[in-house]
Amino acid sequence: MLSGAGPYDAVTTQALAFRDRFRVWGWGGRDVAAEIDPRIGDRIAPLRSLTAAGIGASDVLLVHYSAYAPKLRGVLEMPQRKLLISHNITPARWFWDHDPQAGVVCALGRKQLPQFAAAVDVAAGVSLYNAQEFGSDVVIPILFDPAGLGVPRRPPADPATWTAPDAPTILFVGRLAPHKRQDAVIRAFELYRRRHAPAARLVLVGAPINWPYDAAMRVLAEEISPGRVTIESGLTNEQLAERWRWADAFLCLSEHEGFCIPLLEAFHFGVPVIARAIGGVPEVAGDAALLLGDDDDESVAAEALALAVGDGELRATLRERGAARIDAYAPDRTAAKLRAVLESLAA
Amino acid sequence: MKPEDALGAARTAAAARDDALPASMRIEPTERVSIEQLMEWANIEPDVDLMRSTRKLGAPITWAKRQLIHVMRQYLRELQSQQTRFNLNLLIRVAELEDRVARLEERSGQAPPER
Repeated sequence: MLSGAGPYDAVTTQALAFRDRFRVWGWGGRDVAAEIDPRIGDRIAPLRSLTAAGIGASDVLLVHYSAYAPKLRGVLEMPQRKLLISHNITPARWFWDHDPQAGVVCALGRKQLPQFAAAVDVAAGVSLYNAQEFGSDVVIPILFDPAGLGVPRRPPADPATWTAPDAPTILFVGRLAPHKRQDAVIRAFELYRRRHAPAARLVLVGAPINWPYDAAMRVLAEEISPGRVTIESGLTNEQLAERWRWADAFLCLSEHEGFCIPLLEAFHFGVPVIARAIGGVPEVAGDAALLLGDDDDESVAAEALALAVGDGELRATLRERGAARIDAYAPDRTAAKLRAVLESLAA
Repeated sequence: MKPEDALGAARTAAAARDDALPASMRIEPTERVSIEQLMEWANIEPDVDLMRSTRKLGAPITWAKRQLIHVMRQYLRELQSQQTRFNLNLLIRVAELEDRVARLEERSGQAPPER
């Protein structure tokens, strides 16, 4: 059960990945959502199609919690055993100025989360940071399967002879939303470009929260770094893989992240990561990224970018450590955790 | 360079720079909403441009949705006015109460609580 389902929504993608696993395990069931974007088609059914008569007494209900969902409240009263996976809700303070509706949904969603967590049999977070928000220590990470993204670029044979490209590409992948701080990414990029790589370009990939915010970010990008910034959304997996393949570094200056899937994507593609150490980021990135502290401003981020793009040894070490993080979040490992929790509930 | 040394090196390099970008829009969270900001928000003015279809080739749907708003404008204006009237009056009452509490605290010599 999802509060909402959409084509570019990470939680929906996760629910569909779970469904693929359930199918492989020979399990039944179906996916429903309280709100459905028409573009998702018939892969997710409306919540109203779920009737008490259609669920067996020994079935397990899995709730993906990611936003305020009053319609899901009825699920809590069902007698079946329940697992809640919280996908983290951004604090409303990031949305009041730019998307009041999202602000309301986040504020109410965060308020309602402890009640949901208390009413289910097991409440888990996608990261420990996330689980601790409602006093749990059960973690079921994001089921990340890099196979769907394709193969990375071949690494250079000898890191010692690596030279930085003349026109490096800096990438950030994440919703075009206030807490993702694309404004800071643009500024850090422009400082880096002016100081180290005049021909560099920045690619921001992510669906905007709304059109005025998208327009505001485009104006800002043109004002700060004219002609150097591309903002894209609605990419296919192949197109996204293409962006990753040509990226020379991934810069994430988000102020709130529950898990941050793009970190794992970057590790899969061997792209060096510079990220703000916030929320679930340190837990997911481990020692495989350059983690900026609270006092590190955009100027420090720009210099970290220069090192991550230009230092062959640093790139090789980060790539090696990134591969270890991919292993730690291997899909079979995560699926086994999910299966163990679900089977313990069904037993 | 080792990753453990890279941030230190980046900080040193950044400290040696004195270039700066011109001031531009900076996204900040709204930590505490002031009464003035609430007054601004209380007068609700939904942006018609936000009404659009997200479907592929959704232009006719967007057009239809906006036509619907146009056709319903009398009702929507009434709804907007009634909501704004309630919002503003409630806010004025809150502002008056805040003022009154501040005066009482001042009179009794109590420090206002941390906000």
